[in-house]
Amino acid sequence: MSIRLPSSIKQGDVIRVRTLVIHPMEIVQRDKTNKIIPKNYHFIHTMTVAFNGKEVMRTEFTQGVTQNPSITFPLKVERPGKLTVSFADTLGKSYEGAAEVKFS
Amino acid sequence: MGEKQSCSLGRRDFLRAAAAAGIVVTLNEFAPSAPAQTSGAGMPLPDELVDATLKRLFGNRTFQRAEDKLKLELPLIAEDGGNVAITVDSNLAVSGAVAVNNIYIISDKNRRPMLAKFSFTPDSGRAFVSTAIRLATTTDVRAIAEMSDGTLYSASKHVRVTISGCDLPAQS
Repeated sequence: MSIRLPSSIKQGDVIRVRTLVIHPMEIVQRDKTNKIIPKNYHFIHTMTVAFNGKEVMRTEFTQGVTQNPSITFPLKVERPGKLTVSFADTLGKSYEGAAEVKFS
Repeated sequence: MGEKQSCSLGRRDFLRAAAAAGIVVTLNEFAPSAPAQTSGAGMPLPDELVDATLKRLFGNRTFQRAEDKLKLELPLIAEDGGNVAITVDSNLAVSGAVAVNNIYIISDKNRRPMLAKFSFTPDSGRAFVSTAIRLATTTDVRAIAEMSDGTLYSASKHVRVTISGCDLPAQS
């Protein structure tokens, strides 16, 4: 997964952070009689964002989010630090990424 | 090909549910095949009509229409329902006495109308989010902001969907 930050960040800015994770986000399948096939579908259900170890945002996803989801979210930066974003899916896998927020 | 992918209510299911004017029928219909929610996060949940979703999430609280406070950007016509860009921007505060706690994205005609829930904190700085969603068919899409005092603001837009984001084309 990738995280993109603005090229210039100043103290006190509300920046927009863009993340992209490559994931199939499997959708529900039906059989011939239009009944849903019960199985554990593979999709991301949670995204958590932490800045300097403190949780700043949490998102719940469903299968209604596109495959390879890209999410842009805001972050208020008062001091530089480490931004971590992690996605958890229904197969118990997690996808994590980190970026350094620096002032320039 | 026997399998058909879908995240919308089938037309027949929808009509049946609508005619019966209650979600109970739909739930009962799916009860034997749909396992309990706790058995796995990826297990399919039963189909839900949008009114039932709103009731489940917000109880009997009323919504204040607030197109000025909640700006919803969506295309008028989405050629590919499988990838519809959506941006929700808001001038509501995320810190202070009354702040935005959550923003929900709800599509009225998807099989499961609640598509995503974004929870903000004062460190967010602004209640803003941009992503892409799947739409089953031509539908209204709503953004609902839930404030810390329980107030609900909503904004909605109608999107025409050319190709469903859920059904694969029929194969012969």
